Amino acid sequence: MTALLTIQDYRLDIPTFDGALKVLDGIDLALDQGETLGIVGESGCGKTVLARSILGIGPAKGKRVSGSMTFDSVELDHLDEAGWRRIRGVKISMIFQDPMTYLNPLFTIGRQLSDVVVAHKRAKGERLPSRAEQRKRCHALLDQVQIRDFERVVDSYPHQLSGGMRQRVLIAMALAGEPQLLIADEPTTALDVTIQAQILDLLRDLVDRLGLTVVMISHDVGAIAAIARRVAVMYAGVVVEQGMTNDILTQPRHPYTQGLLAALPDIEGGHQVLESIPGTIPNLIHPPSGCRFHPRCPRATEICTAQKPVARNIGADHVVACHHALD
Amino acid sequence: MLSPVTTLSIDAARPPLLSVTGLTKDFSSGGRLFRAVDDISLQIPQGGVLGIVGESGSGKSTVARLVMRLIEPTAGTILLDGEDLSAKSGESLRLIRRHMQIVFQNPHSALNPRHTIHDAIAEPFLVQTTIRGLELERRVEALLDIVSLPKAFKYRYPHELSGGQKQRICIARAVALEPRLLVLDEPTSALDVSVQAQIITFLQELRDRLNLTYLFISHNLAVVRYLCDRVIVMNQGKMVEEGVTDAIFANPSNSYTRQLIDSIPRLPQRNLVY
Repeated sequence: MTALLTIQDYRLDIPTFDGALKVLDGIDLALDQGETLGIVGESGCGKTVLARSILGIGPAKGKRVSGSMTFDSVELDHLDEAGWRRIRGVKISMIFQDPMTYLNPLFTIGRQLSDVVVAHKRAKGERLPSRAEQRKRCHALLDQVQIRDFERVVDSYPHQLSGGMRQRVLIAMALAGEPQLLIADEPTTALDVTIQAQILDLLRDLVDRLGLTVVMISHDVGAIAAIARRVAVMYAGVVVEQGMTNDILTQPRHPYTQGLLAALPDIEGGHQVLESIPGTIPNLIHPPSGCRFHPRCPRATEICTAQKPVARNIGADHVVACHHALD
Repeated sequence: MLSPVTTLSIDAARPPLLSVTGLTKDFSSGGRLFRAVDDISLQIPQGGVLGIVGESGSGKSTVARLVMRLIEPTAGTILLDGEDLSAKSGESLRLIRRHMQIVFQNPHSALNPRHTIHDAIAEPFLVQTTIRGLELERRVEALLDIVSLPKAFKYRYPHELSGGQKQRICIARAVALEPRLLVLDEPTSALDVSVQAQIITFLQELRDRLNLTYLFISHNLAVVRYLCDRVIVMNQGKMVEEGVTDAIFANPSNSYTRQLIDSIPRLPQRNLVY
């Protein structure tokens, strides 16, 4: 089976006055149809830049240095705007972190959702739906995200809805073009924990019911574990470890993954000692030589400063980029 | 390195350092009254750590601001070491403020961008004490040392620091006058988890070293479980549950508390080989 999305040796620089920020450094990822992939990492590790690059909405000044992204046999890097219109919202959709800012405060939910429905019909060159058809489609879309009081929500303005409801509406919009791939960038970070649980349930339900392929980005390992069957851990623009979520969370093999997990206080109590990773994330204009994690790594040796570790298989579907992977 | 965490003996005979009774706060919006905090009572013994957890809008940050007298309560009394804060105003309020300090959620907006780190840390001394000159320099450097930052940082401006470093500066400033009560309002929510771990571990060490008392506000239940002796659960301005942290997490008696705890995604059991 060929992968739905393939990212190969993807390198991205962002030029600044002080020199180029090397934000993505050789990303390799592959995603099968129906797969759920979590990308986890701390702020500044490049996870959002990577996600947005998949949709061609990465940083405006960003320059691809090498590599390629292929979706469903389409080379994404060579698309023009017309080509992107056949991808965005139709093949690949995205939902964002802050549901407060992505809805227009001046229009009702129904109006904004209808706009998306009409835009997709127009892009496909199909007959435009009537008002009644638009309303019916909106009803179906909101039903899909488990909004039951359609009549109230459709005529509401964004400020009249809670954060959780707004995120549901944004998910409905993202689904309007019946995409194959949904990219969720920190979809629950701005939400309270009880609402987060509802949205995670909804995403799981959509994966099961629609066979949706999902890339979910988060700094929250717990949220990732709730959704993603596979996970990729990013540090400073590099995927340091990827594999089955359960394997990586129970048997992390990269020192960074292990440090990240040891820094999480355990909700189950048990008086663990919190470990923190010494130092801070590196400046990506002059990233550390060799392995980008070596200045903070307890296992670093000379080879780590000299040579960038090559990602290697260390088990069934478990890849790690480290010279001294843990046993 | 600092000495390992020790269990503090809490003298039951002593009156609690902070004692709040019947605290209530109404805000008016558009002519209507909104009760943000509804009849909250709490006590923290000297050296204790009390957590307040709740979702956004539960009123937990309002409690923090009321305790600090940053806003005026509609009803209720706040006693700090037996002294009635709500009765104080003007100079007597200013004098007691040195015994209670607050650290806010967002370190990026808590520091004046036009002041150096030195100015930020020196300000409490200028306002509350007569310490000046060389002695002030010595104090500022000692505080940077307490929060494990190099002395040279005093010449920097906030934008030259990372989020975790800025939060350390905010903590340094808050403990500058050796307060007895430190109110921490979501001190790690704006930080990455590895930095959060640094700050939490640091807060624990600091409590032991300076015998501080914490009121710790957070929506992160795992952090609260890790750090707090006792915990209060708030929902819509009301206290729905109060008790020893481990007991509440292991066996919540209130349905909302249970829902809150159950909502947290669980991780598969780790096999860390440290």
